[in-house]
Amino acid sequence: MRTHVFLAGLLAGSAVLAVHAQPGPTDPQIAHIVVTANQVDIDAGKVAEKKGSTKDVRAFGKQMVTDHTAVNKSAAALVQKLHVKPEPNDTSASLKKGGEENLAALSRLKGKEFDQAYVDHEVAYHQAVIDAVDKTLVPNARNEELKALIVKVRPALVEHLEHAKHLQAELGK
Amino acid sequence: MRAGWLAALLALPGLAAAATHIVTIEGMQFQPAVRTVKSGDTVVWRNKDLVPHTATAAGKFDSKSMAPGGQWSWTAKAKGRQDYACTFHPTMKGSIVVRD
Repeated sequence: MRTHVFLAGLLAGSAVLAVHAQPGPTDPQIAHIVVTANQVDIDAGKVAEKKGSTKDVRAFGKQMVTDHTAVNKSAAALVQKLHVKPEPNDTSASLKKGGEENLAALSRLKGKEFDQAYVDHEVAYHQAVIDAVDKTLVPNARNEELKALIVKVRPALVEHLEHAKHLQAELGK
Repeated sequence: MRAGWLAALLALPGLAAAATHIVTIEGMQFQPAVRTVKSGDTVVWRNKDLVPHTATAAGKFDSKSMAPGGQWSWTAKAKGRQDYACTFHPTMKGSIVVRD
């Protein structure tokens, strides 16, 4: 039930991303979307690192914190170099809101229920972000270095998605 | 007697021609995934990704965390195939095949 509420939130987020495919976000908006998308997953990972009931879920949460922090470090260095000022927009606001709702829902859960909800959300979230990368962020990024950074991040998102799906299958046993 | 040892040492091809092999870590992959080396050669893993990685063969070798832009080297000794993985990213797998 709660999982469905999370998914509905995510889908609403995806809808906003889709709406923004035309005319499409500007580079400063894309930069803000990238930073926000990473931060949302760092915040969830920090909770899972502590509350996960299995070693694998805690390790995955820790990995999300490590990897998305590393990506944001590169993103911050690039926007500084390019003199781009990340600009808040509807898509990044929607991602942030979805992240807050996820944290609120997770705070009410523990044990196996927490693990399941966190991992389900990670699967859906990474899939939604990969879709946004492919359909919105890469096609609209004008600056070549910004585009290259997003392209370079994609394999990590795919690896996280596979890892989360593997955990999901383990939890389902 | 000593000269005999020296001659024997020099005759060992592995010692005379120790090489360095690069494994590039990029796009969440070890490239090439399978590297064939000789005993005594050095393998250098270079992390070109934005996130940290490891090259770890349980009980054989472990780079520990390699930062983005970092690298780690290991000298091959025992013959055989060493399958390894990144402990942070279980989908990342590679092998080093050590020959004479």
